[in-house]
Amino acid sequence: MTAQHVTRSGVAAMATLPTRPVEAPDANLRERLGEFRALLVISLLMTESVDEDQILELATSSAPGLGAWRVEGYAFSDGRWRPGVDPAAPMAAGLAAQLASLGSGAGRVELPGRGWAWAFPLRSVSGLLGHLVASCEREPSAEGRFLIQVIAQQTGVAVSNARLHARERATGAELAATNAALAETVTTLQRSMDIHERLTRVAVSGEGQPGIAKALHELTSMPVAIEDRYGNLSAWAGPGRPDPYPKESFAKREHMLRRLMRDSKPIRDGERLILLVSPRPDVIGVLALIDPGRRADNADLVAMEHGATVLSMELARLRGIADTELRLRRDLIHDLLAGTDDESALARAEALDYDLRRPHRVVLVEGKGRARAHDALLSAARRVIRQARLTGLFETWSGNVAIVTAGQTDWEKLRRAIMSDLGGQCHIGVGGPAARPSELPRSLREAGLALRLQKTLLPGSSACEYPKLGIFRMLAAIPDLTDVDKFVREWLGSLLDYDARRKAELVHTLTQYLEHGGNYDATAAELSVHKSTLKYRLQRIRELTGLELNDPDVHFNLQLATRAWGTLQALQDER
Amino acid sequence: MTGTVQSGIEEIGLQPGSHVCAFYRGASDRDRLLTGYLGAGLSAGDKCICVVDSAYTAKRLESLPADCGAPGPFDGQLDIHLPESTYLAGGEFTTSDMLTFWTESMVKAEIEGYTFCRLVGEMTWALRDAPGVEHLVGYESELNRVTSSYPVVVLCLYDLDLFSGEVVVNIVKTHPQVLIQGILVENPYYVGPDEFLRSAHI
Repeated sequence: MTAQHVTRSGVAAMATLPTRPVEAPDANLRERLGEFRALLVISLLMTESVDEDQILELATSSAPGLGAWRVEGYAFSDGRWRPGVDPAAPMAAGLAAQLASLGSGAGRVELPGRGWAWAFPLRSVSGLLGHLVASCEREPSAEGRFLIQVIAQQTGVAVSNARLHARERATGAELAATNAALAETVTTLQRSMDIHERLTRVAVSGEGQPGIAKALHELTSMPVAIEDRYGNLSAWAGPGRPDPYPKESFAKREHMLRRLMRDSKPIRDGERLILLVSPRPDVIGVLALIDPGRRADNADLVAMEHGATVLSMELARLRGIADTELRLRRDLIHDLLAGTDDESALARAEALDYDLRRPHRVVLVEGKGRARAHDALLSAARRVIRQARLTGLFETWSGNVAIVTAGQTDWEKLRRAIMSDLGGQCHIGVGGPAARPSELPRSLREAGLALRLQKTLLPGSSACEYPKLGIFRMLAAIPDLTDVDKFVREWLGSLLDYDARRKAELVHTLTQYLEHGGNYDATAAELSVHKSTLKYRLQRIRELTGLELNDPDVHFNLQLATRAWGTLQALQDER
Repeated sequence: MTGTVQSGIEEIGLQPGSHVCAFYRGASDRDRLLTGYLGAGLSAGDKCICVVDSAYTAKRLESLPADCGAPGPFDGQLDIHLPESTYLAGGEFTTSDMLTFWTESMVKAEIEGYTFCRLVGEMTWALRDAPGVEHLVGYESELNRVTSSYPVVVLCLYDLDLFSGEVVVNIVKTHPQVLIQGILVENPYYVGPDEFLRSAHI
């Protein structure tokens, strides 16, 4: 219940002192003096109060105790009207103009229905606050007017003090708020500096992804995971590491990455806060804060974003190293195949942590059909070599894949593995071992020769190893091939001319027939022709050469001639 | 008893027979006045009789004798009443009944062997919508006559958050002493009971 309510409840009104008999001047004087005492108490209460409304209410409700007058209201200089005894009464029409004409002084004002009304200034040290407007049925005595004037004066001072206090309190509150905001900013900056310092230390110390995860865990007190773009765990710090580490489906992972790319800020993914780390379009990582309680605050997010920056640098560095190593490897193998000195090659290989001091050989892989795509063939060759537990250097070379390897394996098995991986056809030519890097161009030439001989002369499409080529290898080793060419012309000249003239394949047919030991079925299958076609071709060969193929001497010379022809073809292609 | 007695409030001394109206703001201010005033009385061995407005306040005051650590025993030294059994006994307020209550209480205390009484009344009951509350100021004035005849000090407590300025003015005019903000305001020109009653009946 408020004082105002009490006044209206009747308690105070009923407790009003009765009017003193006018014929008792001594009693009248005492009453005036008593009123001044009461005024003193009211002044004390006003001074004590810091609530403007409370002060005005006290002044209003005190009036009936001090005389027959009442407070109509308070008209403040800023135009505001605060009603007095009647809380719903608006400012009387024309009152504002009357008050304006009074200036800072007191004076009579006209109010409808009031016998007497007077405006008393509400003064303060800072100037005029407004006016207290009092009214009475009849004009009060001089003492009565003096009491109203004192009440107005005290009200003005008290209101002024209350406003000053309110301003000070507001200023104090503002200062406190500013200080609090400043303190918070300082705390945030300090935390940010701590975060920056801690993560910078990690960045320069080369602790890598485990170090970044550990630092972030220490800064946030939450478990931290770093994943690659496929969801594989790269690093974990903190308790509760899942084992095995869960992996999302490809589709779900891609969807999540798209969300992260779109938002470019931490997003919630179930119990985790995740952030994309992508220093360049082809390098992607994901930083995750494990936060099932959803208690991560702004500082944790700042730490996460700083951590992402450091991780971004780390991923870029790792990718840079990988790119450089790849480029250096490519440069090295290119130089090895093209020919380089041993000292330089060994030094560069050692820098790449590759042991080139062992004897190496060159293996050429040629793809056919779907396997012709160089990148796919290179990747397949790399995988198969790794699965065969071999080490090597890889490069695309003249449309084929060149492998420089120290290992020896079942090359046909390797060829089949590559075909299985790629789903196409391929040929493999294996060069002889090179004791030194400078011998590798020779191994390359041998691998190329083996590859061509296999394709043109040898039955099937098995991997062809140069060291196992026998007579071919011997023929290829002859420095001057003039006599070999004469020998080929002597035995196969008519057939070669016929083939050239008719675009026929009689030499090839004869070659396969002899390589298959005169077996009609196997030869026809190799040539992919009907047996009767084969017999027809053989008859043409007999007619053109005038030779009997079943004669052992003729057979030997023809087989040597066809092999020499193949070798010449292979060597001619090489040149 | 002659000479000044310590009120227990702000080092203020009171003459026996004093009737002081104390103004305060809010429950904590009230409790501070009650505790100081009654605590000083209990410590001095005075009979303390108080009327508080709620059972909650009464309950809290029950532990006061033990809390003030003064010489005992205090059994019966502190009487605590509620308005329903005092100011508003019978459902209405009558000045005579209430003055009789105080008089009988002081006589009883004298019989019990107390040489001095300390009375206190929380006046918030007067804000209730009960018959007779309009006689509050008259009662306060008449109480001056009773207290002047006994070795007693009386404290009437008024909450400034609840009572209007008019009540304050009238209380000051009818009381020789008013305690406000730790200041004892003397009013030698107060309206005495005879004068008040005489003017009230004109």
